Amino acid sequence: MQSLFGFGQSADIDLVLDGYENRKSADIKTEEGKKERHLLYYDGETVSGKVNVSLKKPGSKLEHQGIKIEFIGQIDLFYDRGNHHEFTSLVKDLARPGELMQNTSYNFEFANVEKPFESYTGSNVRLRYFLRVTIVRRISDIVKEVDIVVHTLSSYPDANNSIKMEVGIEDCLHIEFEYNKSKYHLKDVIVGKIYFLLVRIKIKHMEIAIIKRETTGSGVSIGPNSYLENETIAKYEIMDGAPVKGESIPIRVFLAGYDLTPTMRDINKKFSVRYYLNLVLMDDEDRRYFKQQEITLWRKGEKARKGGAGNAQSPTMSIPSHLVCADHHRREPTVESDADAANAPSVENMKREVDSPAEITSSDLGADSNSAIQSPLEANPSPLSD
Amino acid sequence: MFRSSMMAPQMSPQEEQEKMLDEALGIVKSQAFQMKRSLDNGKLMDGLKNASTMLGELRTSLLSPKSYYELYMAITDELRHLELHLYDEFQKGRKVTDLYELVQYAGNIVPRLYLLITVGLVYIKTNSCLKRDLLRDLVEMCRGVQHPLRGLFLRNYLLQVTRNILPDNPEGAEESEGTVRDAVDFVLMNFAEMNKLWVRMQHQGHSRDKERREREREELKILVGTNLVRLSQLENVNLDLYKKLVLPGILEQVVSCRDAIAQEYLMECIIQVFPDEFHLQTLNAFLESCAQLQPGVNVKNVIISLVDRLATFSQRTESSGGIPNDVKLFDIFSEQVASVIQSRQDMPPEDMVSLEVSLVNLAHKCYADRVDYVDKVLGCTLHIFEKLNVERVSYESAVSRELMRLMKIPVDQYNNILTVLKLQQYAPLLEYFDYKGRKSLAAYIIINILENDTLIPTPEEVDTVLTMVASLITDQPDQPHEEEDPEDFAEEQGLVGRLIHHLKSEVPDQQYLILSAARKHLGAGKAEGNRRIKFTLPPIVFQAYQLAYKYKALKDQDDMWEKKCQKIFKFCHQTITALMKAELAELPLRLFLQGALAVGRIQFEDYETVAYEFISQAFSIYEDEISDSKAQLAAMTLMVGTFEQLACLSEENAEPVRTQCTLAASKLLKKPDQCRGVATCCHLFWSGKKISGEEQHDGKRVLDCLKKGVRIANQCMDSSVQVQLFVELLNHYLYFYEKGDDQVTVQMLNHLISKIHEELPNLETNEETEQISKHFSNTLDHLRNRMESPEADGVSYEGLVL
Repeated sequence: MQSLFGFGQSADIDLVLDGYENRKSADIKTEEGKKERHLLYYDGETVSGKVNVSLKKPGSKLEHQGIKIEFIGQIDLFYDRGNHHEFTSLVKDLARPGELMQNTSYNFEFANVEKPFESYTGSNVRLRYFLRVTIVRRISDIVKEVDIVVHTLSSYPDANNSIKMEVGIEDCLHIEFEYNKSKYHLKDVIVGKIYFLLVRIKIKHMEIAIIKRETTGSGVSIGPNSYLENETIAKYEIMDGAPVKGESIPIRVFLAGYDLTPTMRDINKKFSVRYYLNLVLMDDEDRRYFKQQEITLWRKGEKARKGGAGNAQSPTMSIPSHLVCADHHRREPTVESDADAANAPSVENMKREVDSPAEITSSDLGADSNSAIQSPLEANPSPLSD
Repeated sequence: MFRSSMMAPQMSPQEEQEKMLDEALGIVKSQAFQMKRSLDNGKLMDGLKNASTMLGELRTSLLSPKSYYELYMAITDELRHLELHLYDEFQKGRKVTDLYELVQYAGNIVPRLYLLITVGLVYIKTNSCLKRDLLRDLVEMCRGVQHPLRGLFLRNYLLQVTRNILPDNPEGAEESEGTVRDAVDFVLMNFAEMNKLWVRMQHQGHSRDKERREREREELKILVGTNLVRLSQLENVNLDLYKKLVLPGILEQVVSCRDAIAQEYLMECIIQVFPDEFHLQTLNAFLESCAQLQPGVNVKNVIISLVDRLATFSQRTESSGGIPNDVKLFDIFSEQVASVIQSRQDMPPEDMVSLEVSLVNLAHKCYADRVDYVDKVLGCTLHIFEKLNVERVSYESAVSRELMRLMKIPVDQYNNILTVLKLQQYAPLLEYFDYKGRKSLAAYIIINILENDTLIPTPEEVDTVLTMVASLITDQPDQPHEEEDPEDFAEEQGLVGRLIHHLKSEVPDQQYLILSAARKHLGAGKAEGNRRIKFTLPPIVFQAYQLAYKYKALKDQDDMWEKKCQKIFKFCHQTITALMKAELAELPLRLFLQGALAVGRIQFEDYETVAYEFISQAFSIYEDEISDSKAQLAAMTLMVGTFEQLACLSEENAEPVRTQCTLAASKLLKKPDQCRGVATCCHLFWSGKKISGEEQHDGKRVLDCLKKGVRIANQCMDSSVQVQLFVELLNHYLYFYEKGDDQVTVQMLNHLISKIHEELPNLETNEETEQISKHFSNTLDHLRNRMESPEADGVSYEGLVL
């Protein structure tokens, strides 16, 4: 206002983070879905830098009630615009109330600052970190915000059992599936197998979908004030045609190419993001049979990975270690059924779409149930694209 | 629905196929074009995307195998460009990391796997260390395509592109790229999967399409078989590896797939693609599997095919050792065939016999000298019939056809019936044929004997042979009642007649026994057999005469020869009498006359009695049995001819014979016959032999006969016949005149000539007359000729008036 009317001083705030030249940056989507790139920080890293205040009218003074910088981590729920839920808020005073006569720089440092959560933009929720510099004035503050992106790194999970389960629909279809792990890092590969123990339906094809389920609101349970959003991140055909009893079909899904985040559970009691592998079989009357299985996604430290894929360009190194091993795949169907009877593991019911439409929301499969599977190759998701 | 029926109301399925194929090929063409352009411009990702779109066409379920194949060929052809491009890039060092991973993001499995294979191939080519792992990975990942047609072609692509890079290092070698064992594992797995897909085609869709499905499977079988070809091309697959890994792997899949079409084709494939040396060492395993095949499999063909191959192999490699000694080829086959027959209760008997045929072939080709092997097979066949309770094998049946093949093989192969006779089981097996079958085989055997000029030299063998061909020799209990075609019958019996001439020993005593043995057989079916003996007994008689001549020739070595000759002629007499009893006349007449001649030449002890008996038998046949005047004249001429030559009778016996002849001639019914008969008799008195061998030269009696002839001719009413007889008589006169019979004079000739001159013009002009004139003028020409240029010591023709 003041500046508009030509009186009073104003200033530009510029925030330069230390080591920005060398720091990695990462993409994050805005609420509108646009990609932005910000500097990347990890939990416990010091966030430091310099705030440059440049006066717009040289020579005239700027009165202020103090200059401060805040480090804020906050969760925004899109349906509740009014409230920001801050889970982190650190403040440093850069200057006591007074007057600025000239361009001034202030160093700041948030040492070893905790950043417990990962930056995230979803359909109903956003978790962001940013620095805010405020020159407090009587009428209107001068504010500058700068976002950073935080990735939460996890160490190797202690227990990472394979997922193995026998599922089916009585007298119709019995399969046993196996995913090699229950927890996958974001550049990981899902390797698995499907064994067909009983096939009495005419299967047309089989696919694996990666489904992201975002829940917002209080707790995990879905109440009146909570929202659930399913998004199919990937659809991946793993079998074409009708197998017979005794067949085993390999699964191999590379995760690196998809837009995934680590699994987030009950983040600050505001939201969760979970991932599911949905195994879907379609019969020749286009009925879908499916089984969802939650997997945990986690982010692995970049450095460990670098060693593998960085400069070492020889194809030897780039051959994934997850090639199918021919030894463990063969299973004798007859032995199988005997063993089943003996061990009698509980056979879980598979869901048939017509039986329980509630299992999957319409936005997920119902809406785009045409058989065309979007190829990520066409979506150009790979690191090659840049 | 509505729209499509509007658009294409009358398209035949074939047209639809063509249309769909054309559309798909169009897309392939344009995507391939864009792919190449992208690659040329260095836009790898775009190129891959085009390739993926192009490959998406292979996801169709609408094309027939044929059309799908065309599409596949077009697309894989284009994939070559991608492969070459990537290979070039890799060679130039522009390596694209994680390409193997990158292509796996393709959402659809069919395009993804084609790309994966293509990229994998480039990786392997540029870095062979990856070979083993990548091959294993590719063959495993292909499991994702369970659709038979698409899966078969995908795996075929895998097999095709890897054909030159399969690791083929000796087993045990420390090779990072893998050894031949890895290659075998790879191909075997691909084979097993392809076979499963191929078999699965059979069970999909409506049962009414079964025929079409089987046709389509037939079209696709080569894709499965190529796996086996690939295995056979691995240089380091040695016998050991084949025995332990390759063959068991294949057989396990073949047996367990329980599909007749697959089993039959693949067993055949194994036989054809792998070397014979391997087959020889793995017979048991292979044949044991044969016993386990599905009921619908024509195991017979499989085994026969193997036998044929090994037999050929044995012959081809004869010079270099042939079948190794340690391989008991025949024994193995024999046992395994038996167990196949045993285990396959449903096998039609003709197939069982047909298997035995193949065994016999094997025995012949590989062990030509082992008659016992062949006999063993025949024994097995007998055993099969016993087990099946077969009583008779009817001629039109398939079993009969196969049995006939089986039985003909020894005949054809040995080309010597004597070797066939060594087969103890041959004759018993032959008995299983019905009448027609036995007869057909009998004729076949006889023809073989005749063509090979095989002589059967002992009575025992004669006995066996004649028993084998009994269906041609005696009437059979199971013979149909209707009359056979007389021409066919004559032909068959003619064969038997010729066979008799091959029952021959160089040792005369032996030969006698042979003839007796044969005679017993030939006489056997006497009651109804009269039809046969006129064909079969004369050769016996002639053989016997021959034998008698032989004894005569060997008389210095055999004191008993005369007795033996007597016995022979007694034998002949009996045999000829048998023919008489069969109400035959001319044949025994001739045989008696022939016998008389033989006796006359051999001149053993008391031969005159025998000769006289033969002659008198001939006479009594003439008198009692021959009533037709033409036949009488012919018989008369024969008798005169015989007696004229016969020099064995003393005057005491000879005179009645000659007189009897002349008398008989003059008693012929018709005048012309009388005339001619009497004229013929002249010769008895001129060149007929005395016991000393000299000719009679009894000119007076000759003239008597001639005059009698003229007298009879004069009595002829028909002037044409009369003139003809005169001309003939003139010739007779002339003959004896020229021979020097002084009783015949030129006046007599003149008289006859003028008589003919007189009568000839009175005859009607016709063909007959012309003939007579010609005969006459020829005769005159001869005389004219003689008069003009007389022979040095010839008679004089002075006073002859032509």
